[in-house]
Amino acid sequence: MKSPEPGSWRRTSPLAILFFLGKLLRDIVKNAWQSFAPIAAVLIASSGNLVDRLKLVVVVAVILVIVASVLRYWFFRFRIAEDSVLIREGVFKKKQLDIKFDRIQGINTEQNIVYRYLDLVTVSFDTAGSSGDEGNLPAVPSAFAAALREKIGRPLQRAGAADAPETIVESEPLLALTWRDMIPIGLADKRALLVLALVSPLLDRLGDEVDSVIANTLESATQGAMQFGIVGGVWMFVTIGIGVILLLAMISIAAAFLRYHNFELFLDGNTLRSHGGLLTRHEVSMDLGKIQTLRLQQGIILRGFSRFVMTARQARSSHKNDSSKNFTIPVVTEELATALRRRFLKQEGRGLIQIPTSSRFSAISKYSMRMPILINVLAPLLVTAITYSVEGDPAALLFLLWIPVSLLHIVKTWQHAGYHYTDEGLVRRSGTLGYRTVALLYRKVQRVTVLRSPLQRRKGLATLRVYMASGSVRIPFIEHATANRLRDYILYKVESSDKAWH
Amino acid sequence: MFQNPEIALDDLPGMEDLDWQKLHPAFVRRMQVEHALIALAPLAGATFISVFLHFPLMQSTILWILAIGFAIVFVSWPRVSVPRRGYVVRDKDIVFRSGVIWRSVTAIPYNRIQHVETSNTPFDRKFGVATLQLFTAGGSGGDLKIDGLDAEIAEQLRIYVLDKVGVSIEIA
Repeated sequence: MKSPEPGSWRRTSPLAILFFLGKLLRDIVKNAWQSFAPIAAVLIASSGNLVDRLKLVVVVAVILVIVASVLRYWFFRFRIAEDSVLIREGVFKKKQLDIKFDRIQGINTEQNIVYRYLDLVTVSFDTAGSSGDEGNLPAVPSAFAAALREKIGRPLQRAGAADAPETIVESEPLLALTWRDMIPIGLADKRALLVLALVSPLLDRLGDEVDSVIANTLESATQGAMQFGIVGGVWMFVTIGIGVILLLAMISIAAAFLRYHNFELFLDGNTLRSHGGLLTRHEVSMDLGKIQTLRLQQGIILRGFSRFVMTARQARSSHKNDSSKNFTIPVVTEELATALRRRFLKQEGRGLIQIPTSSRFSAISKYSMRMPILINVLAPLLVTAITYSVEGDPAALLFLLWIPVSLLHIVKTWQHAGYHYTDEGLVRRSGTLGYRTVALLYRKVQRVTVLRSPLQRRKGLATLRVYMASGSVRIPFIEHATANRLRDYILYKVESSDKAWH
Repeated sequence: MFQNPEIALDDLPGMEDLDWQKLHPAFVRRMQVEHALIALAPLAGATFISVFLHFPLMQSTILWILAIGFAIVFVSWPRVSVPRRGYVVRDKDIVFRSGVIWRSVTAIPYNRIQHVETSNTPFDRKFGVATLQLFTAGGSGGDLKIDGLDAEIAEQLRIYVLDKVGVSIEIA
């Protein structure tokens, strides 16, 4: 079990049952409607004491889930062959997976709190290609995972850097996050808004309560304490609002702790590796050569902290748009971002400045604002005119408020858009309140399109769209001649490059 | 011997005077027939509404004008759009242009092509045309698809491109 050398079929640790249990529960929750509907139907159809029945159903369900997990563990076998990992699984429906080493882009591991005591990990293989099945090896010793990573990583590095002889690769630490870093990570997390969306029905109810309180106080206010009533109501609103925001911030920061506690980033030769997490430890790795685009992102909150999120994206399979192919560094300073970019893109990335405030960026044409302005001015005018003529209500004029807001949005988006390029790659900048810059190397481009709308044709402009294996990057409203020159140069770079793009 | 001649940027091959290859002449007809069949749906809808639902004459007429107008524009559109499409097979890449209102020019280098596919529907076969599809990695926003090639040319192109891809192909 300790060695990943080619061998016979074997089982993982019985603790893999936990993994299958978790997976099963996740599936049940994901398909909650389908899973619970039959149970509900049975409950409703049957007569008798509902509580007793419910108890029975819960007990039966728990037993079923546990039995299923045990069975799945029992039928799960894997084998390390010469050049691939073989997995056989399935209780009724047998499945055999054959993951070739050279298709594996990275080996990621996860370690929950129980596994940590026993030094076990769950290995997941990050593969490039069309297959939707990604293999997992649950509950294997972490030494085994490390050895497997070593074994699979070796041929990759040999192919990637032919001129580097067998050197002993030392792990070089690049970044370690402390608890203080969790605050910007948590606050900048957009998922907090999702929580808000889930909580908002609850808030609605709260709002009703507040309404009635205000109505009551107003009523009593008419009997003398008017001043206090209104002030009290407003205060209550403000307090509740601040409370909700604080609560969200705290949940969000707690989530940051869960995912990124003790986050550390290192470079092992050509492989980028990170681990971190409070209860479940995630270990992620990515080969530097596989980076397709490098993204630096700064939302309005991170702008306040002058921090960035850095994401390295690798080729994604065509069927799904999953983010598991991304390598995220949740918070970096400007200096660190520059240093990391130098390490990741090496010599070729020289001069590809990603810091959005850099003076290197050229603006795109102001004509990019024309269409959005036309739409965002005409549409509210039209809606206002129609509503006013039908309803005759001056409140229709409120629609006109849309115009200044959208104009501000359009102008900001134009101001934040920009691009710059060197002999080896280009950087695009975008964003409205914050910034996002994406850097890419020409030689990794898959295909190029120059697109022109009627307005662009009249003004001698064009949109350049560069397709990477990780998605496309668009530079809108630049000079047509520039777009053509860039396209021809990119094609020359791609066609004369003998380096692997992946 | 290793050579590393300096490349003058102005000498890079451009796309100003390319000899754009046209699609199969029958392709316009093929698209028109397809569009005509599609345009039957709103016409049938208009007929149904005005005859069976006893719509007032005024509304029915408007409906009819809309349906017929749509049919005319839709059926004649391929006459405008198909001639705008064209392709050029170059030594290192294949270039395709299309679009009437939004015009695009796309280039795919052979050393980025993952696989090549030709296909034709029974409808295509009737007009002797075929579709050539070139796939690159990532697959964002659909890969390059050239409809309306002469079936024989499509097959020749497939073999030519495969040959070009040949050495450099390595499935990721």
